[in-house]
Amino acid sequence: MAFSRDSFVLDYPEYFPEPEYDFSKNKLSKEKVELGRALFYDPILSKDKSISCSSCHSPYNAFAHTDHDLSHGINDEIGTRNAPALFNLAWQKSFNWDGAVNHLDMQALAPITDKREMNEDLKNVISKLQDSKIYPELFYDAFKDSLITGEHILKALAQFQLTLVSAHSKYDQVKKGKLEFSEQEQKGYKLFQKNCSSCHSEPLFSNYKFANNGLPIDTTLNDFGKGMISKQRTDSMVFKIPTLRNLSYTYPYMHDGRFRKLNQVLKHYSEGISKSKNKSSNLKSNIELSSNEKVDLIAFLLTLNDKEFVFDPKHQYPREVLLSK
Amino acid sequence: MKIIFFLSVLFLSTAGTATLRERHIQFDLILNKEQIELGKRYFSDKSKDSISIDAIRFYISDLELFLDEKPVYSLDKKHHLIDLEYPESLQLDCSNLPIKSYNKIKFNLGIDSTTNVSGAMGGDLDPSNGMYWAWQSGYINFKLEGISPSCPARHNRFAFHLGGYQNPFYNMQKVELLLTETKTDLPKINLDLDDFFNQINLKENHQIMSPSKQAVEITALLANAFYIQI
Repeated sequence: MAFSRDSFVLDYPEYFPEPEYDFSKNKLSKEKVELGRALFYDPILSKDKSISCSSCHSPYNAFAHTDHDLSHGINDEIGTRNAPALFNLAWQKSFNWDGAVNHLDMQALAPITDKREMNEDLKNVISKLQDSKIYPELFYDAFKDSLITGEHILKALAQFQLTLVSAHSKYDQVKKGKLEFSEQEQKGYKLFQKNCSSCHSEPLFSNYKFANNGLPIDTTLNDFGKGMISKQRTDSMVFKIPTLRNLSYTYPYMHDGRFRKLNQVLKHYSEGISKSKNKSSNLKSNIELSSNEKVDLIAFLLTLNDKEFVFDPKHQYPREVLLSK
Repeated sequence: MKIIFFLSVLFLSTAGTATLRERHIQFDLILNKEQIELGKRYFSDKSKDSISIDAIRFYISDLELFLDEKPVYSLDKKHHLIDLEYPESLQLDCSNLPIKSYNKIKFNLGIDSTTNVSGAMGGDLDPSNGMYWAWQSGYINFKLEGISPSCPARHNRFAFHLGGYQNPFYNMQKVELLLTETKTDLPKINLDLDDFFNQINLKENHQIMSPSKQAVEITALLANAFYIQI
């Protein structure tokens, strides 16, 4: 990251596309990013001060929720989906597995108010922050106004999340000419380009569009994804295409976390594609992969893990701010 | 209240020929021919029913005055949240506008789609005003909540949260109010809910919480219930 006195420039590789996020309406600054970071890790956002954003978006899991198929929130309530990983959000146009949220600024409203996540109201969040020892000053530093507003809370949270850029995987090092793939990884890369890249397109490893990927419905959840928002049949079982970056940190997989292992994911695409009518045109039939090819493909997918991102102290719990409360 | 009224009359009369005055456009919300008070029961002889309103909030956007189809002026502030709980919100400030003749008013009931996809905003558009959905992006254009014995829902409560910024359920409504004669005084705009409640049946329609065809139809009924008080 490049710092100047007040501004903060997002650092990303030149082979990344232009971000979707309109930074002109929420200009990055060090103070706003740090305020967003404090809010992200502070359980004050939830009704009983028990759950923070990081409860389901842990830095050590590339800001995903591992070990649970469905994420859990306040009072151990269980939701209906697996919390998605948070990084490279500046390149995404819509959020949540169903795309119901149209802007990164507005994303935080969903978990804050959901009864099974934080069960809180933005107005209460404002009054709790206003009464706290640290926040009026932090908001003043960031926005030159100690009167806390919904707009400023959401913009600060968005700023911290925008700085979560994952671009230091082995794949990125190869792309920058600093490392080379092993023979097996190179074979896997070819298989990836042939079979996966139309949806999980480089260099973000998702085109961030929506598709029905042929999963059978889980009748204990009856989650029809985007179809439940748009009320259109063509959107039934349509979910956001997730990135393949940081796969080792972000298990389990799919919107409902039904697959714990990458092998199970590959088994779905090679044997289990269902016959739904609105299935992605890229998945007309099962993808043919021999067991050796699967091993090669996984070797390549593992080059998308970004350890530097996952262990970057800049993105972790801000002790000096939150422990001083 | 009386003193304030007296002072403002005094101010206007001393301002004389000045073209800039402290002025506003007033919205009045009407039920049973009376100005609505939150929580008060209004009895209708016609339907032998009663209605009380607990919340009525809506957005007025891009208000413009016209003279013979030519725009005379538009308000500086693009979006106004009108909320009966805050009576001052029923007066749209026009103090910077020159006095001009007009015979038509246009505004939008609700928030346009561009604003709906532009991220977090402050003031009347701050999501903490309770007029923004959380589980799905988008402003609630019109919130109307209350109680009526004819409403079969729990505690006889009805709740209309009307919004939607995407087709086919684009919810914002255009409102055009024509005056019978040219005026220079700023208008009082009434929203008469008698018409509205006469046209919907609370037995069937009492709860809307997401964008839908029905939400568009109900918002259109509300848009039709505005008129100019002469």
